[in-house]
Amino acid sequence: MSMVVKAARTVRPLPSDDAASSVRLASRAARDCLAEAGLSPDSVGVLINVGVYRESNTFEPAVAALVQKEVGINLDYLASPMPVAGFSFDLMNGACGVLNALQVAHALLETGSTERVLITAADAHPGGRAADDDAYPYADFGGALLLERAAEPGYGFGPVLLRSGGGPAGTRGYLNTAAMGTGGRGMITVERDTDRVETLLGLAADAVDEYAAAERLDLDRTLLLCTRAAPDFADRLTRRLGLHPGSVLAPTAEGADGEPHTAAPIAGYLRARHGGLPAGKDHLLLVTAGAGPSAACVSYRPRDW
Amino acid sequence: MTSNRSSRLEALGAFLPPTVQSTPDLVAQVTGVPGLDLQGITGVAERRVYDARPAAHEDSYGLALKAARDCLEKSRYEAADLDVIINASITRFKDGSDFYFEPSFARQLAAELGARSAIHFDISNACAGMMTGVYLLDRMVRAGIVRTGMVVSGEQNTRVAETAAAEITDSYDPQFASLSVGDAAVAVIIDESRDEADRIHYVDLMTCSEYSHLCLGMPSDRTEGIALYTDNKQMHKRDRLRLWPTFHADLLAKHGRTFADEGFDYVVQHQVGTRFVEYVNAMAATEFETPMPQSLSVVEEFGNTSSNSHFLVLRQHLRAGTARQGRKYLLVPAASGVVTGALSATISSLGV
Repeated sequence: MSMVVKAARTVRPLPSDDAASSVRLASRAARDCLAEAGLSPDSVGVLINVGVYRESNTFEPAVAALVQKEVGINLDYLASPMPVAGFSFDLMNGACGVLNALQVAHALLETGSTERVLITAADAHPGGRAADDDAYPYADFGGALLLERAAEPGYGFGPVLLRSGGGPAGTRGYLNTAAMGTGGRGMITVERDTDRVETLLGLAADAVDEYAAAERLDLDRTLLLCTRAAPDFADRLTRRLGLHPGSVLAPTAEGADGEPHTAAPIAGYLRARHGGLPAGKDHLLLVTAGAGPSAACVSYRPRDW
Repeated sequence: MTSNRSSRLEALGAFLPPTVQSTPDLVAQVTGVPGLDLQGITGVAERRVYDARPAAHEDSYGLALKAARDCLEKSRYEAADLDVIINASITRFKDGSDFYFEPSFARQLAAELGARSAIHFDISNACAGMMTGVYLLDRMVRAGIVRTGMVVSGEQNTRVAETAAAEITDSYDPQFASLSVGDAAVAVIIDESRDEADRIHYVDLMTCSEYSHLCLGMPSDRTEGIALYTDNKQMHKRDRLRLWPTFHADLLAKHGRTFADEGFDYVVQHQVGTRFVEYVNAMAATEFETPMPQSLSVVEEFGNTSSNSHFLVLRQHLRAGTARQGRKYLLVPAASGVVTGALSATISSLGV
């Protein structure tokens, strides 16, 4: 079985939002996906939310449950005249969350556990405005991917490869509860080691090489879409892999202040979908790298673009 | 599409902080509610509480690591054999009082245990966290993506009890449920089942999101601490609790079966309190029109250990011999979200 993207969207906070909310960003992206696909909320069997930073540093329930409510999936199994049992949970693995979720989604579709999986990836500064916190590197930005089984073999996602390096995590995002006073709902600390980018470059390049060898993926025929771990990350990864200029792109958060975080691979997919594949290329490779240090990649062969 | 693979529970490990806090000791800290009969209301007589000294390594991460190591000692596998590690802690304290969002605990556990090539990610799904991890690992085994993996949860739950004790002013306070929690860590290893008598028969879960706002955890805005705000009255309404038997009966009906046909030997409910467990079992007996199997609990001794409560019950009873191998178990989650469902497994060679 292979798995394909039925719809994908990314979103920024609306000008009318007084504060960014990961729930609202994820919900809007999810609803846009369903509208694009012409599907009802009940067509989603499992919703996986992979966002890391969230309003008020909420740790219960799963953000996914709050998103599920906003989208209108399985509100109340008892009250519905035609109950469909939707399920949701949060999956967190820093920048690699979407790729972990793709691996899990494959297992859910392969085992017939559901017909469709919706991945949401939205990050918002706990205080509501990323731009107000100079030390916070990420944008208030979200995305969603609606997945289903491919109608025919040979298209869609390949297997996911995840690799981690030794040594320090490189990036640490946490709330210092011993120094938060009564303001913990609006605070967050993100620390990044100075040698982090070099480590992630090496890890990402090794993961791509390993993937290409294992999956017999011709990198000359592949457009790579990678995390924007630094402004020049795509160019440095291009050189590290010995690829032609323009072979690796790192999408931005579409004008929002800061890096796209967990939604970056969705922005990457959309960049390729809307920008088209360069001549001679027929595959995408989504590459993520971040806290761990971890890097992951997954190929996608589109059909009828 | 679906293979014939199945999974099983292979090994179960835990760590319980040695420090015991009695309910009278906790009640003495709840100065806003004099004469509170906490034990009478919840049935919780005592709970384990973390040691805050750094050398004790009893933050959420440290607890999870100890449980993971205990689980590996009970397992046929080495850490390097694990294809995936899933952490399911709700409370994410590491390095003392830092509440972590990234990197994942699973990544750090994999590195520290020596499972260097393992897939790793964290799950957050409130008190259904470990059950969600087992659900995903079961699907990954059945899909042939992995052969062996671990689900682990270390919980420093009593942080919310500390905040509740400082802030509560009456027994209807939304933080009241926080007084029934305890600290614990549990880890389970799952691998492929070769024998129908040693197998997860099914694990299916559902979230009814209309009620997702009934239990919210976040930092307090009144004192320095994390807090859990629960609308107990709505959360435990009969209609909320009827979600499980309705969902479970529908699931069985698709295969032409009933609850009575399942022949469960034991049922493990979420460890909210003794009255909750009794009430859910009585309600389910009415809904399923059949008596419930023997109900296993540890809530009197350990309180509600949140995401790992069902697996702590299994571990304690299997070790004590008050539940037996070779029998069929039903685990029923009841979590914020709200999440319900059923895990049916015959447990025959589970290392504990």
